[in-house]
Amino acid sequence: MRRVAVIGVGSTKFGKHERTSAELFAEAARDALIDAELAPGAVQALYYGNVVGGETEKQLHTGPQAASVLGIPRVPTTRFETACASSHAAFRHAVMEIAAGLADVVLVGGAERVLNVSTSESTEYFAYASDATWEQPAGLTFPGVFALIARAHMTKYGTTEEQMAHVAVKNHRHGTLNPKAQFQKEITLEQVMKSAYVADPLKLYDCCPFTDGGAAVVLVSEEIARQRGRAIWVLGSAAASDSMLMQDKRDLARVPATERAAAGAYRQAGLGPEDVDVVELHDCFTIAEIVATEGLGLFEPGTGGMAAEKGWTSLGGQMPVNTSGGLKAKGHPIGATGAAQVVEIVTQLRGEAAARQVDGARIGLTHTLGGNTATVLVSLFGRE
Amino acid sequence: MSESGITIKGFFDGVRAGTLTGVRCGKCGELAIPPKEFCPACGARDWHAVPLSGEGTIASYTVIRVAPPRHAADAPYAIAVVRLKDGVQLLGRVVDIPLEQIAVGLSVRFRPLTRNGQTTIAFGPA
Repeated sequence: MRRVAVIGVGSTKFGKHERTSAELFAEAARDALIDAELAPGAVQALYYGNVVGGETEKQLHTGPQAASVLGIPRVPTTRFETACASSHAAFRHAVMEIAAGLADVVLVGGAERVLNVSTSESTEYFAYASDATWEQPAGLTFPGVFALIARAHMTKYGTTEEQMAHVAVKNHRHGTLNPKAQFQKEITLEQVMKSAYVADPLKLYDCCPFTDGGAAVVLVSEEIARQRGRAIWVLGSAAASDSMLMQDKRDLARVPATERAAAGAYRQAGLGPEDVDVVELHDCFTIAEIVATEGLGLFEPGTGGMAAEKGWTSLGGQMPVNTSGGLKAKGHPIGATGAAQVVEIVTQLRGEAAARQVDGARIGLTHTLGGNTATVLVSLFGRE
Repeated sequence: MSESGITIKGFFDGVRAGTLTGVRCGKCGELAIPPKEFCPACGARDWHAVPLSGEGTIASYTVIRVAPPRHAADAPYAIAVVRLKDGVQLLGRVVDIPLEQIAVGLSVRFRPLTRNGQTTIAFGPA
């Protein structure tokens, strides 16, 4: 298999936009190509993530649409849908195409537009990632899925609502250092604890926002990367799945797909959790960050809440997590999130993260979770 | 149709009639909620329909306060994953139990819940 590198990254500002998702992707992809110093004609394929375009924009076939707006209508384009992990799935398949020698330059990205519909409509559309026969008719929502996980984690390990609140406070603090973040305002522990319950025990400030945005990265073969000075290497990329139904998950305090995807990525890279310097992980809800830090092996099972409380996952801590502000503060345009996490890690490994730079970061990890924890992807990155 | 003959429609026809039916693997004994073609534990295709007791305890729960439009009239409402005595888990609404009395470990019993012509799984007092 050939080595694969990232040589260009781009992202829109996250938040509310009066533009289609295809336009948001095209802006991010334009910046990624400029960053890579590549002409659009060099791109041989587009791997694209978009989730609820069919609902919020009445738009299917979003891959070729995005490519057309970017101005590369003739490249083979495929849209991936693995709920919130869509553009990480797109990324992994793009890596495989280059590693297999089928292409030398592949564009990966994603975009989402949801703030053009009401919160109650978005809540319904996001719930489509839960089972339509068994879970949606009961009224299970996306926050509800993670509330079930939170309650199980609290029961098994004694994790507290206050420990979860620390994740929100930390990620908002990081968000103030990221000019692309949706929220760039610090919040207090008291604000989180006093916010209204959405799905007990999760409160409003435990939840990531609805977000419009796009992100893109340029992947190339080793030969092309060697002609560039700033290549960040893909050291591993693995996917794992789990039962679709919450009722089939025997231990709701764990996300086994995270553990399996992490094991695969670490094995490919010949690395372990102790080698990782900076992490962008899927904090769609504060409990999701706690469970992910455990599943990735960064902290022992049951200690993720304590790690958040003690500041170990903060910038300046022993294991900085979500320096971008994470989904919580940077925002979560679901189809773009996997690519946006790569944008942050590449920025960190290049040493270009300015006020939120993790000093000397050499190895970075991205973790993206799809919907009800039935899909997880983990990728590892390193500088030369 | 799966080997045991239980489709999703068949399962929920049973729910409407107040019964729960699982499938047990004839090779390894795994108990599952249908429909399933292959046994996720051993890969066999030897399912046998078995009645489930409907009695169990709450493994985890939440109270949904921000609901999708079609459930908004019910909010706040509780949803639980219930571990049945038989060994499998089922997700459903919690009904006829005050929200503040719902707890992990609480004993509950299955009952059908029909809302707007659609029947779902629910659990009430044991």
